[in-house]
Amino acid sequence: MGNTNERPITMLQTATILVSTLIGVGVLPLPLFAVRAADSAAPFVTMLGIGFASISLLLLTWLGIRFPKETIFEYSNRIIGKWLGTVGTLLVILFFAILTSLAAREFGEVVVTSVLKSTPVEVTVIVMLVLAAISTRKPLTLFAYMHNFYFPWLLVPVVLISILSLNNAEIVNLQPIIWSHPQKVFIGTLTIAALFQGSFVITVIIPSMRKPQKAMRASIIGILIAGGLYLVIVSASVGVFGAEEIKKLLWPTLELAKATSLPANVLERLDAAFLAVWVTAVFTTLLSSYFLTLYALKQLFKMQDHRVFSFILLPFVFFMAMLPQNVTHLYGVIEDVGRIGLVITTAYPAVLALLAFVRKKRGESDG
Amino acid sequence: MRKTNSPKKKTSVTVVHSLQEYEDRQISGSLEEVDAIIEEALGGTEDLSVRKFLIFGQHRAIMYGFSHMVNHVMINEAIMRPLMQPPYHLQGRSIPVEELADVLLQETLYHDDVSKENNVAALLRALLGGESVIVVEGLGEALLVGSRNIDKRGIEQPATEQVIRGPREGFIESLDTNLSLIRYRLQSAELRVEMRDIGRRTKSKVAVCYMEGITDPKLVEELDRRLDQIDIDGVLDSGYLEQFIEDHKWSPFPQVQYTERPDKIVANLLEGRLAIMVDGSPLALVVPTVFNQFYQTVEDYTERFLLMSAIRLARLVALVFSLVFPSLYVAIISFNPELIPTEFAVAVAGGRAGVPFPAVVEVLIMEVSMEVLREATIRLPQQVGGALSIVGVLVIGQAAVSAGFASPITVVIIALTTIGSFATPAYNAALALRLLRFPLIIMAGVFGLYGIMIGLIVIVNHLLSLKSFGVPYLSPFVPGDYNGLKDLLIRGPLGKMKRRPAFLNPQDTTKLAGTDDESGESEKGLPPLETTRPSPS
Repeated sequence: MGNTNERPITMLQTATILVSTLIGVGVLPLPLFAVRAADSAAPFVTMLGIGFASISLLLLTWLGIRFPKETIFEYSNRIIGKWLGTVGTLLVILFFAILTSLAAREFGEVVVTSVLKSTPVEVTVIVMLVLAAISTRKPLTLFAYMHNFYFPWLLVPVVLISILSLNNAEIVNLQPIIWSHPQKVFIGTLTIAALFQGSFVITVIIPSMRKPQKAMRASIIGILIAGGLYLVIVSASVGVFGAEEIKKLLWPTLELAKATSLPANVLERLDAAFLAVWVTAVFTTLLSSYFLTLYALKQLFKMQDHRVFSFILLPFVFFMAMLPQNVTHLYGVIEDVGRIGLVITTAYPAVLALLAFVRKKRGESDG
Repeated sequence: MRKTNSPKKKTSVTVVHSLQEYEDRQISGSLEEVDAIIEEALGGTEDLSVRKFLIFGQHRAIMYGFSHMVNHVMINEAIMRPLMQPPYHLQGRSIPVEELADVLLQETLYHDDVSKENNVAALLRALLGGESVIVVEGLGEALLVGSRNIDKRGIEQPATEQVIRGPREGFIESLDTNLSLIRYRLQSAELRVEMRDIGRRTKSKVAVCYMEGITDPKLVEELDRRLDQIDIDGVLDSGYLEQFIEDHKWSPFPQVQYTERPDKIVANLLEGRLAIMVDGSPLALVVPTVFNQFYQTVEDYTERFLLMSAIRLARLVALVFSLVFPSLYVAIISFNPELIPTEFAVAVAGGRAGVPFPAVVEVLIMEVSMEVLREATIRLPQQVGGALSIVGVLVIGQAAVSAGFASPITVVIIALTTIGSFATPAYNAALALRLLRFPLIIMAGVFGLYGIMIGLIVIVNHLLSLKSFGVPYLSPFVPGDYNGLKDLLIRGPLGKMKRRPAFLNPQDTTKLAGTDDESGESEKGLPPLETTRPSPS
């Protein structure tokens, strides 16, 4: 009945999964990261970051197409052997569990700081995590449907706020577009590229795609839309506030929403409304990283169903989310973990791709 | 459909009068024996008329029938008269008993619906269904005469689904009439009607209609399977069946649509859906159902597309309003008053100055009293209903405000919400949203806008996971279906909707002739002026 196809996910769905995974809580401090690295050249650094991230995404997609019936947790065993493959899988699980917890904590902090001032951060974090845990108990098809459904709601606020803020933007703020400290730019590029690590989820999607060959197109569409939105946000923030001002703001994107008002004063400030809509963006990001963790666990233990883990994992993730002492400490951890994570999400696939190429390993092609 | 309840067969053992004990018995030809059997089975109920008479003045016979369900005029004229007074061509012929059945059937009775039957259980069932049974001494078969005549009301305008432009006929209780209403609109060789009896005691007739060659045969099979599993004593309305064939029993959202409009059923059949009708119920069921059906009306298709698209959008806004409006109000007033313009915020604060409760309590109290009022107006006799709504609006609304019980803004919000929920064409879907409004208000009271979003995400995720007969509930939005999208938020021009929506997996996807040329030909709209009249082929 209906489409009980075993490989139900289409190219467009994959693209929407990528976009809604990539757009998340990381967008809120993004202009700050970019400005710290290169002042008014922030958009340029963002582009470098996007470029770096696309390399890792394209590598993963290339690998996925080479092994169209397996996830990275399966073909890594075939490429570098069972032991090393298991170690790789374990690292991925650990990293994405941490990423989930950090994203939940980060958004919890945002909510507590800007809207629910008297609510303990534990509550907002646990609410998001429980929501994600419940939602990951569904099959992969439904995971795709969720991303598909929430995708339009990500574009609207970002585009709306960027357009409305054009009123206050000064082109002068974006000049000069040249930076001075190559080392800071390099670190900034990595930090921004780290915001794209959710794209790792493509590796579990490809085996369920109707036509895995189209994954490359999906990846390119996904990274173009997500990267475009990142760029728009950074340019708009820097354009409105100027580099020096942004350095004093923790979440420049949120401040951007605060500074904009709808025409005719229908809503005087947009920050709370923006944050409300942004709950869906954060939810989809959490959903992806949580789902990826569960899926990796499932394949590590060679189980049929990933559902059992969703609530077993919850206390650990929550505990990790509560480890950083305050927002400043949290962002230190986020930046460090993000850059270390690049080893797992970029270097690891690069090694796999190289070995697969050299040793001429490939999966059975799609029948 | 995964969690199907296994039918509880054991209960049927205890049922005494289920006619099972007569299942294997044949009538023998002895009038006394048949009389005894009927006496035993029906317990001498007094609305059974037993008429003894002689056929052609020589063969003893008895006719049974429930006197209040039988068409007496027809029985007298077409059955009794030729049996008692042999027709012209039979006069003077002596007919032996072994030829009698054929002679009666082929030469005597002036009625189209007569058959032979010798199984006792089948005879009893037919008798209970309103047919007459004629038993003849010495004949091993009885005659069944279709004499059923039940009083029914006339075909009226559908009470709950009124349209300004469109057919005015609605279903009535009688299944035969309802089927005729469908068949007369859909004079197609592909229309199939399958009949079955459901209900151990009521033996309600259930008809399943579908279009051969359009409807997915797997859907028909699946519906058959689900209907087979129903083992209930009585089916008094199609709503009983709905609860047995739906996929998710614990969901507040209806997964089966009902309608009392024959034209709507026909439109759905043509899209590849199935219709289920129950004798005695004026409401037909439609499966599979997706969410967008609940805010569409027949009128969307009879009026021009531009206007109806706008109205459909308005309906959608009303639907969303009825779900989130009160909770948005609570969240903004209690957590984010800075969002609304300052002048308005001041006005709201002024209105709320005398109200002792927090906004969430105030809204909850008003919502609950609104639900009570609404339920009361439905239950009250019509003559009193008008009076009550005046009391409700004037007294409760005005007095609550002046008593400092609620702020004027709250009353406005509640009124808008209530009216919004009436704008949803489907009562059962509006009911679901009405119910979900309450948890959302509470979430808004606890977590503000953040809480509303969490609540909405839970609701949407639930909607996404729902399926009706294997069809995802939010089709054609998610998963996307290009042909279905033309009829989702707006209603595309009929000329552009060339294919049936793919999510129903129709066997024949072409709706509009000339669809196969996928090139730009079709995009140019109407053919040149000389040939504006479209040929029927």
